[in-house]
Amino acid sequence: MSFRDFFDALLGTGQSDYMGIIIDVRFPRILLAALVGCALAVSGCTMQALFRNPLADPYLLGISSGAAVGASASMLLHLNGIETYILPLFAFLGGAGAVFAVYLIAKGAGRGRIKTETLLLSGIAVGSLLGALTSLMMYVSGMQFRSLFFWLLGGFSGAGWDTVAVACLPILAGVVLLILFARDMNAFLLGEEPAMHLGIDVETVKKVLVCLVALITGVAVAFSGIIGFVGLVIPHAVRLMLGPDHRTLLPASCLVGGSFLIWADVVARSALGSGGTEVPVGIVTALCGAPFFLYLLARGRKW
Amino acid sequence: MVSPNVSIKIQGVAFDYEGVDALSSVTFDIERGRFTGIIGPNGSGKTTLLKCIAGVLAPEKGSVLIEGVDVKGMQRREIARTVGVVPQSAPMDFSFTVRDVVMMGRTPHIDRFSTESKEDAAIAEQAMADTGVANLAERTFDGLSGGEMQRVVIARALAQRPRILLLDEPTLHLDISAQYQILELVRRLNKGRGITVVAVLHDLNLASQYSDGIVLMSGGRVAAIGRTEDVLTPANVRESYGIEVLIERHPITGKLQVVPYQSADRETARAGSGRRVHVICGGGSGAHAIRLLRERGFLVSAGVLNILDTDHDCASMLGVPMVSEAPFSPISDEAHRENLRLIASSDAVLVTDFPVGPGNLRNLEAADAAVIAGSSVVLISEEGAKRDFTGGRAGELLARLKAKAKVARSLDEAVELLRG
Repeated sequence: MSFRDFFDALLGTGQSDYMGIIIDVRFPRILLAALVGCALAVSGCTMQALFRNPLADPYLLGISSGAAVGASASMLLHLNGIETYILPLFAFLGGAGAVFAVYLIAKGAGRGRIKTETLLLSGIAVGSLLGALTSLMMYVSGMQFRSLFFWLLGGFSGAGWDTVAVACLPILAGVVLLILFARDMNAFLLGEEPAMHLGIDVETVKKVLVCLVALITGVAVAFSGIIGFVGLVIPHAVRLMLGPDHRTLLPASCLVGGSFLIWADVVARSALGSGGTEVPVGIVTALCGAPFFLYLLARGRKW
Repeated sequence: MVSPNVSIKIQGVAFDYEGVDALSSVTFDIERGRFTGIIGPNGSGKTTLLKCIAGVLAPEKGSVLIEGVDVKGMQRREIARTVGVVPQSAPMDFSFTVRDVVMMGRTPHIDRFSTESKEDAAIAEQAMADTGVANLAERTFDGLSGGEMQRVVIARALAQRPRILLLDEPTLHLDISAQYQILELVRRLNKGRGITVVAVLHDLNLASQYSDGIVLMSGGRVAAIGRTEDVLTPANVRESYGIEVLIERHPITGKLQVVPYQSADRETARAGSGRRVHVICGGGSGAHAIRLLRERGFLVSAGVLNILDTDHDCASMLGVPMVSEAPFSPISDEAHRENLRLIASSDAVLVTDFPVGPGNLRNLEAADAAVIAGSSVVLISEEGAKRDFTGGRAGELLARLKAKAKVARSLDEAVELLRG
């Protein structure tokens, strides 16, 4: 397809099959990539503020492993043949359920108060338990193995206008709400007690932030699988450029995360030529993200 | 009804902090506009109390009223508009500028849906100017020195426009000049702006120097409260900290100073086994000996000492029985007789290497009399020191003493000889 074909299609004067590809395949795919990138980057920022740790990422609370369990279950039960929404629904419920469990465990351990350390550790524990469950299901799934594996690595091949329509509202609403908590997140970086001294109801804000992250990350994962490193690396890169103030960091991460995933998807689609197969976008993000992450670690400076 | 002069009212506050640093039924008022120092040993509940006042911890029993309102019923934002807190320093992994950090102090005044106004910015600038960090505004917070960081944190608290400032060991980890600069700053804010200050302070001397009133905490209770003079007593400090201290006036500031000295453990206290030793000294030569002998378990008396003599001050602070003489006056007949009586009732006499003039020559005569009477006399003698200011008379007496008494080259040697 040439640029000429592209513009003709946009203007409605081109060949109809090109129009179909651009309007019904490419556009929703781009929009979904943008939404997911935005959700993951903003979630990553939020988690890093919540844990006062620049190495935190959106999957820390078990969302990814929960979603994987949900997705595997739906495939194993051959439910995805019936309806395309079943897998995303299962994935979302799995992810949200995992966060909920992690949250309850931390709350129980902290006698009503959520300690971030406990939250982190129970996230790790629940995550590895669910990871084992996923592996077990993959092992027994046989023929389903390849498609499950493909889903886990993340991609936007399932994108359509319907998925964009469903993902759009919760992600945009969640991101806007999180941006409204930018000042609270700044105060969180000082520590929980200093944040309280600045008038922030730390326990309530923590709950709200965890819920919003679970919502938008859950939706993102449900429609695109587990795309790694975006939530970790994008906030970092933006922080290096613009500083740690969440009032600029959150909106900027949102934009950069969205554009990054659009381009990563372009690479994923065209990496192996136009032979029909595409590389899962999670592989592309990991290939870019992991070295960048190592560079940040080696740099060893403050953020 | 809470009196309008009371800024913070603490009523029967109890808190069980998993055993350590707990509070039990703490009750007192903090007056508006005062600088209140909270002191006490580690784990005595100072920090817990401060957290209860700040509303960070909810007391299990009792209540804290801030300006007449129970903290429990206040929203965090309301508290933050009244109470600024300078916590013990915490490191930060993110590079905010000083201005960003100070601006965070405006958080309780800014609505979630608004941004900072020009007024907020002006208040933050003012707070930086007041704390002397305006020139650091563009620097990153984590690159500052300890003293600078503490000033910035105080500026952040000031930006909250609080009427009460709580400080938790604000001088911890600071060098001595930074310690004073920080507390001078806090006192300026206290006296100049009328901000009520409550500061947990580790250093008793700083507490004495800057506080209008002191609360001494011990074992989760208020052990003493009131004016510095009433709280900082050797007995109170011994009771709470388990150490012996001298409390004296700083010669320049006139503030009380706490000077710890080693307290005797039981083993060393047994060494003297209650032997009576009379110390003849003067001019500061005997203070150390009197303290050491007491510590080693001797029953010490002293004389004759002129009032205002360093040895006299020391003996009276330690509560040692002694014969006194008026300042700068020669020893009277009466005092001399009293001295001889004390010598007669002692097991041994220690004569320090004190300077002898016409006024206190009689002390040497008393020592001579003791030797003649057959008492055990120990003389501390340093080589080459000029001690005779009488034109020879003292020299003769000293020579006689040296011949007949036991001579020690050092205080430790003297203590050995006195044990008999």
